[in-house]
Amino acid sequence: MRASPEELARAGVLVRIPPALRTFTQGQDEVVAEAGNARGLLDALEAMFPGIRDRVVDEAGRRRQYVNIFVNDELTRDPLPNVRLAPGDIVHILPSVAGG
Amino acid sequence: MAKAIKKGSVVLAVGTKKGGFLFHSADRRKWSVAGPFLPGQAVYHMIVDPRDGRTVYAGAPMNAEPWGPAMYRARIGSEPKPSAAAPKFKEGSDLSVTRIWHIEPGPADEPDTIYAGVEPAALFRSRDRGDSWEDLDALNYHPTRKDWQPGAGGLCLHSVLVDPRKPRHLVVGISAVGTFETRDGGRSWTTENKGVRAEFMPNKYPEWGQCVHKLTWDSSGDGAMFHQNHCGTYHRGPDGGAWTEVSKGLPSDFGFPIAAHPHEKHTAFVAPLKADVNRVFPRGQMAVWKTSNAGKTWRRSTKGLPGPNAFMGVLREGMAVDSEDPLGVYVGTNTGQLFASRDDGATWRMITDFLPPVLSVEAAEAR
Repeated sequence: MRASPEELARAGVLVRIPPALRTFTQGQDEVVAEAGNARGLLDALEAMFPGIRDRVVDEAGRRRQYVNIFVNDELTRDPLPNVRLAPGDIVHILPSVAGG
Repeated sequence: MAKAIKKGSVVLAVGTKKGGFLFHSADRRKWSVAGPFLPGQAVYHMIVDPRDGRTVYAGAPMNAEPWGPAMYRARIGSEPKPSAAAPKFKEGSDLSVTRIWHIEPGPADEPDTIYAGVEPAALFRSRDRGDSWEDLDALNYHPTRKDWQPGAGGLCLHSVLVDPRKPRHLVVGISAVGTFETRDGGRSWTTENKGVRAEFMPNKYPEWGQCVHKLTWDSSGDGAMFHQNHCGTYHRGPDGGAWTEVSKGLPSDFGFPIAAHPHEKHTAFVAPLKADVNRVFPRGQMAVWKTSNAGKTWRRSTKGLPGPNAFMGVLREGMAVDSEDPLGVYVGTNTGQLFASRDDGATWRMITDFLPPVLSVEAAEAR
């Protein structure tokens, strides 16, 4: 049986993976990672799923323009190292309203 | 779908604002289509590698615009998948690749080598079919880079010429920076813009800063080149040096694509537009112009092309030639039509209508 988000997140930070990036996670829509801040979280994701970090941030480490990171439903605007994370946090990576 | 593309067919790889398509035909009269591939994505450039006739490369955003650019690869007719890595700048450069504008096959005897021209302007080389990339420092961090300015389409490296005689000899075109050339495989580069106008600069003939729109080899095979610029059409002889403006005889000095005949020397096709401030065909008549003498004279062809109320344009990658005899010439418009000539550009037929705006057209033989 699938564990609840809360149960999963006790082990670390629960990350909700958007559909466009599930090719990296073998289809998983959520994963658990250990990290103290958002940059560390991306490093942990990259170690598990090579290539995924470059889709969220560019090679200069900047969040891509139309990619948003929410922590516990709050949109983060700080530089990634300043976005503190703790076990039990739920992180959403989502494209902003865009397209055309 | 792959089985539907017969060996020996001419295949047109068409990149559009909403996906890529493969048009294919065994006789160049009746065309079939496969696709869209990468639906909904802006495919700025898509090619069938002419070296094997079956590997497709496409540059497009990864799944959708927000996730950054990707190099896609496929066997002809199957859905392209992202390669293991996209081109990217070195850590610490503070630059990031936003778009792949051009994919160029490497030398014939290095079948796994491809080049990518990107925005912001830079050249990358892969020796493993796009799974890893080499950042060509001497060009990408050229001392003049801090002053490079974008053209209206962005600061893009869109033309990559690999000399079939000497693979270490490369020429690239950047908007609006100009033409650069290396003869040592990219270790050092020279600016090659003598004789090319830059009407938008205080000095009309600067060392660099020209808005090159497209470069192509002259099939003379001796290093001569054709060049469509924001400010004129040019030819440069085999010995290098200054470009010769050959706009005389054309209806304007503005246009985007230029395609050279692959077998007849000094022969090329252009599609001039009215002006930079009005990027449509003059007098609403679509026309392709051909020279057979390195631009000394030009002949206009309109038979089968729309007009006199056709107010569209063609983008820089929007024209291609095949290698058949007589030659096939292909033009895709920014209003979604694809036109073909199977008689060296003399007469034209529309292959399809109602595509999304066409960003690129390339031709190859399926094998």
